[in-house]
Amino acid sequence: MSGGPDPILAVERLAVTFDTPRGSVRAVDGVDLSVREGEILGLVGESGSGKSVTLRGIVRLLRANAAVAGRVLWKGADLLAASPERLQAVRGREIAMIFQEPMTALNPVLSIGTQIEESLVAHTTLDDAGRKRRAAELLDLVGIASAKVRLAAYPHEFSGGMRQRAMIAIALAAQPRLLLADEPTTALDVTIQDQILKLLLGLCQDLGMAMILVTHDLGVVAETCDRVSVMYAGRVVESGPVEALFRHPRHAYTHALLRSMPHGGAARQPLVPIPGQPPRLDRPVEGCPFAPRCQLVEDRCRTVAPPFEPVGPAHAAACWASDRLAMAEGTA
Amino acid sequence: MTARMPRLRLPGSLVAGGAILALMLVCALAPGLVAPYDPIAFDYTALLQPPSGAHPFGTDQFGRDILSRTIAAATIDIQIAVFATVGPLVVGTVIGLLVGYYGGIADMVFGRLVDLVVTFPFLVLVIAIVAVLGPGLVNMYIAVGVVGWVFYARLMRGEVLVLRNHDYVSAGKVLGYGEARILFRHILPNAARPILVYWMTDMALAILLGSSLGYLGLGAQPPAAEWGVLIADGKNFFSQAWWITVFPGIAIILAGIGFSLAGDGVADLLDVKR
Amino acid sequence: MSAAHRPAELLEVQGLSKRFALQRSLGDVVLRREARVVRAVEEVSLQVARGETLGIVGESGCGKSTLARCLVRLYEPDAGTVRFEGQDALALQGDARRAFNRRVQMVFQDPYGSLNPRLRVGEALAEALRVHRIVPDGDVGARVDALLDLVHLPRDAAGRYPHEFSGGQRQRIGIARALAVEPSVIIADEPVSALDVSVQAQIVNLFLELQERLGLALVFITHDLRLVRHVSHRLAVMYLGRIVETGPTERVFAAPRHPYTQALVAAVPAVEPGRRSRQAAVRGELPSPLSPPPGCPFHPRCPLAQDVCRRDLPALRERSGDWPVACHFA
Repeated sequence: MSGGPDPILAVERLAVTFDTPRGSVRAVDGVDLSVREGEILGLVGESGSGKSVTLRGIVRLLRANAAVAGRVLWKGADLLAASPERLQAVRGREIAMIFQEPMTALNPVLSIGTQIEESLVAHTTLDDAGRKRRAAELLDLVGIASAKVRLAAYPHEFSGGMRQRAMIAIALAAQPRLLLADEPTTALDVTIQDQILKLLLGLCQDLGMAMILVTHDLGVVAETCDRVSVMYAGRVVESGPVEALFRHPRHAYTHALLRSMPHGGAARQPLVPIPGQPPRLDRPVEGCPFAPRCQLVEDRCRTVAPPFEPVGPAHAAACWASDRLAMAEGTA
Repeated sequence: MTARMPRLRLPGSLVAGGAILALMLVCALAPGLVAPYDPIAFDYTALLQPPSGAHPFGTDQFGRDILSRTIAAATIDIQIAVFATVGPLVVGTVIGLLVGYYGGIADMVFGRLVDLVVTFPFLVLVIAIVAVLGPGLVNMYIAVGVVGWVFYARLMRGEVLVLRNHDYVSAGKVLGYGEARILFRHILPNAARPILVYWMTDMALAILLGSSLGYLGLGAQPPAAEWGVLIADGKNFFSQAWWITVFPGIAIILAGIGFSLAGDGVADLLDVKR
Repeated sequence: MSAAHRPAELLEVQGLSKRFALQRSLGDVVLRREARVVRAVEEVSLQVARGETLGIVGESGCGKSTLARCLVRLYEPDAGTVRFEGQDALALQGDARRAFNRRVQMVFQDPYGSLNPRLRVGEALAEALRVHRIVPDGDVGARVDALLDLVHLPRDAAGRYPHEFSGGQRQRIGIARALAVEPSVIIADEPVSALDVSVQAQIVNLFLELQERLGLALVFITHDLRLVRHVSHRLAVMYLGRIVETGPTERVFAAPRHPYTQALVAAVPAVEPGRRSRQAAVRGELPSPLSPPPGCPFHPRCPLAQDVCRRDLPALRERSGDWPVACHFA
């Protein structure tokens, strides 16, 4: 879209379909994403928008009933077409992942230190003493005090925030170039969420690591990301630099979502909700999937899906009302 | 969302299990209509006949028709399935509901009782009680009932422990609903599924138990036809006349399959999509 | 707002405490250790007037949900009083207690767990109407329709089961059920935190609208500071079972005085680009309510902590005439 270095990850027309007893569900429907070296991309959407499935699709961490189509280009090579060995070599080593609920991703019967060392065994050539030292460094890096002692602790001895830190330490063991973070702070309290987000931001900047941060919280995106892609009903509806997209949203959904958020300074004012519910994904959607809930809807929205088109520098949206939004912003 | 879902689509397992049980029920209620011969009439012209057109399941050492005897036995065996389980079902459900909801000392006493009962093998316990009371069907029901309710109550208690913390139960309390209403309208219907499924399995087990006791001479008494008794009758002739034991055995298996299919079906039918 | 200017309080809580004893392990019994006690709510006092919304905010383990359940007597408090229209609500028994509960209702967090899955929506609403004889039997159907209208659900919802509805719709059903018995106070325990942002706004607006129309007093409990700012007139911030700051919402937000409130306000991610920082608002973890730190419960995380904070618990009181704060240095 814009100049600058080539992306290290480019997702092209990614589609994920789940075959369920009640018919097939198209959870991700032709998603394009790109992440450059050291960049933090926010992937934001409400539940069922397909943001987590997209993230898992990138590293093919999907259940057996999922059919994946499209291309996931990692440093130019397609991961979806890669051999299991090649995928294994990339996954965990070059691309690491952290999850919403670290307790389910950590092994409860192994100490934190052992789990970090396992990751080091798999991805580095360090010897035993080197791994021990590195494990302590990693815990220190993610802000766990008295790291040497904490290596012997088990996951249940850690609080939610500490577990997420430990999870990040394990992910960092291989010095990945890209971190996939699936709602890493959703289960945490707000002061702890703040700590973890700041930690992730700092790590990305210090280590030059790129990150895709999946979240439902626009505030998290605003405070953490460089660019953002907004998903709705399995599609990316708008994508752009955080500043431009938040200040001048060019898709009616982004616009409505931003307006529905409680903003400071307006005590006891009614919020501006988006009426209705997101569409069901087990039947094909004609036209724009947001049309039934959209305040700016016009006739063609219901029949013809709007193309995903550039609307500004590195900024693109798939909305027939895009120009009207731009004008409304201009006059406001 | 607006169109009402078709509410009653019966699960296949319920249809299959129901069909088997319906067949058994017909045999049990009106054996005379289905059975080709009198189940206790001797026929000295046809002793130990192998299965044939005239006697599809063969005959025994007195020339009695095995098909007719197997059909007639359904009366007692289905009766066992129902009578040996309904008492424990009702008593156990209510006790489990109460101790699970109120907890406290009653729950502790119940816990010890469960420990006591599960340490003894069920069959041994029942045999011991029947031995004291004397053989016969009624005493068997008493013996099974004395022990069997504990299993229903334990299952129910576990369900209630989970359900009583659900917010709809809290909501009921905040709305000032009486305890009976909360217990029987809000908790019981949501706890019923595992109990009913277990009941189905238990009826199959009761038939097995009744047959075992019949075989041992502690349950139904000859000449009454009961599947366990029939098997016991045939055991001395097994090498010459396998059909005397095999066909009642198949009937027991069929009943077991029928009950467990029906149990699966009930589970599906009562599944609320959440 | 000082006490003299406030309208008559509808619900008044004084010194409320609730503790839970943990089950002793076998080791504890052998070593004759006392059962460990969670001090979930400690000496909480608050008031709500007719037509007013009190927001209660705090992170997990701060006792806000326990407090909510004490207010409707799902839990019996260990100490303190709850007065409703001047009457001691904790002493009520039998019919009087039922009458109290009719007036003080609750809306729950989990829209999936708070509706009986085997009751049709209409049955659930009719049950509440019938138990309290809110309307004559013949009028129950009409009142169910009116309740559904009130929460903006279609009338044919009455014939359907909870699982046929989305989370936001279920929350509307939960609200309709609470309104069925014509309460004057609603305790809403995280009523929107299980919902998507765009749906949250729908429910928040519904609360605002209902409060306007019915003159309800609302206690709105949430962990979401952005939301509480939108719904509440007054605010109480809880930390480890205690209220650490309470005052008019706008003014508290504009100039929070307790270091914890300041941290909380700073930690909320603002929907405002260009404010990226690597500096966390507050260090440290939430302490366990099983072993709260001595002195001020916030001192291990507090940037201002001095010796006195480690030693003495600061009282919640007005310092320099604004609103009550529990901090030695506010």
